[in-house]
Amino acid sequence: MGPCHGRVALITGSSRGLGRVIARKLSDAGADVVLNYRKAGGRSEAQAQALAKELVERGSRAVAIQADISQKDAVATMCQEIAARYGRLDILVLNAARAPFKAVSELLRRDLLELVENNYLGNVYCMQQALPLMQGRPGHVVFVSSLGSRFALPSYPLGSMKAAMEALVKQWAVELGDRQITVNGVTAGLLKTDSLIVLRQYWPGVERLPATAFVDLEDVASVVLFLCTDAARAIRGQSIVVDNGLTNQLLYPTSTG
Amino acid sequence: MTEPLISSDQIYREVQKSIADALQISEQKVEPDSSLIRDLAAESLDFIDINFRLEQRFSIGMPRKYFLEHVEELFGEGTAIDQSGHLTEAAVTIWNARLGSSGPQVHAGMALDDVPALVTPRTLVMIVEEILATCPHACPACGKAAWAVADGGPITCGGCGAPAQLLTGDDVIRRWLEDFRARGGPVSRAS
Repeated sequence: MGPCHGRVALITGSSRGLGRVIARKLSDAGADVVLNYRKAGGRSEAQAQALAKELVERGSRAVAIQADISQKDAVATMCQEIAARYGRLDILVLNAARAPFKAVSELLRRDLLELVENNYLGNVYCMQQALPLMQGRPGHVVFVSSLGSRFALPSYPLGSMKAAMEALVKQWAVELGDRQITVNGVTAGLLKTDSLIVLRQYWPGVERLPATAFVDLEDVASVVLFLCTDAARAIRGQSIVVDNGLTNQLLYPTSTG
Repeated sequence: MTEPLISSDQIYREVQKSIADALQISEQKVEPDSSLIRDLAAESLDFIDINFRLEQRFSIGMPRKYFLEHVEELFGEGTAIDQSGHLTEAAVTIWNARLGSSGPQVHAGMALDDVPALVTPRTLVMIVEEILATCPHACPACGKAAWAVADGGPITCGGCGAPAQLLTGDDVIRRWLEDFRARGGPVSRAS
């Protein structure tokens, strides 16, 4: 029996990329997972529904729910559906992100609003709406952050939102400490996921970095899982860097030779 | 250059392949006027992936920003998109000036979020063609006018082998807009 057996977990933005791997990981650990995707009718919906189907066939009570987390009402509706279906929530992984890729100096007002609505407000909406479902039991919240919270990356204004996220981790950890709900962050390094499709467009040479500069999705998901287990209950308000050691050195070889 | 080095048909085949590969669908499903979003279920990340594949194939830089984003940057925020995220009359005027009546149509009041759905393989072919058309007459490195197409993709100098220095897709759009403004294009800042 896995460490998350009997728990219900919501992973935002879990149709693909890291969110998908985390959802699988939590499901493998015994959790009933709620997958979430932003847009109806696109590929992410098909991918989320396919994963939910696969998990159900393996005996899990998985479901995929469409909700744009930047919309407060949509988050409320998603949480109502979770309440109706499961009557509870034990684990919340805030993974969804959406951002323009531009230099900060080029950001239009609309871009700024998009950044804040999707990556700051959206996560707060999710927390506010999910907390009533986490009432009366120990729970775990994990924010998925990135190295952009601490380092400047090219055309990555999302980093500033990740920094805000890591500040929120502390805030929530204190606010929820009495309720035995742990709140932590995982600060992921360079991932070979859809985000690399974006990164390679804005960061010339990123593909020539040696394989060791990247971190496996599985390795990030493993830390998320750990933070969602009772074994990690004394870790509160921490954002743990999981980057395969990338940021331990100032200079990095850019070629495998 | 009078005759393009790479024909529209060749570019279309590469566009078709890039889309099919990125979306993991068969090439037969991709038609010249398929909406990438509506008909082929592409999402914003897929656009970046498709662009990347075309960039690799032709050694070019596809636009990082949408046409109307450039309009907003160059002519001021509010010119093309109003506060509620809808297209202005000026946006329609500029759009029509650039894409003509045969291209995808927009109208004032249309939601900006609906614009990406207008992108079709034909649109991408046009963008690639425009970028390739910025190839100078002669190679700046050796002075020869002997461009060749390597393996159906990148343009290189037949004299010295140097890759053609092409404008990026963003440069092409910016230049067009600057030219449009210089011609006295009706751009009045929305209030």
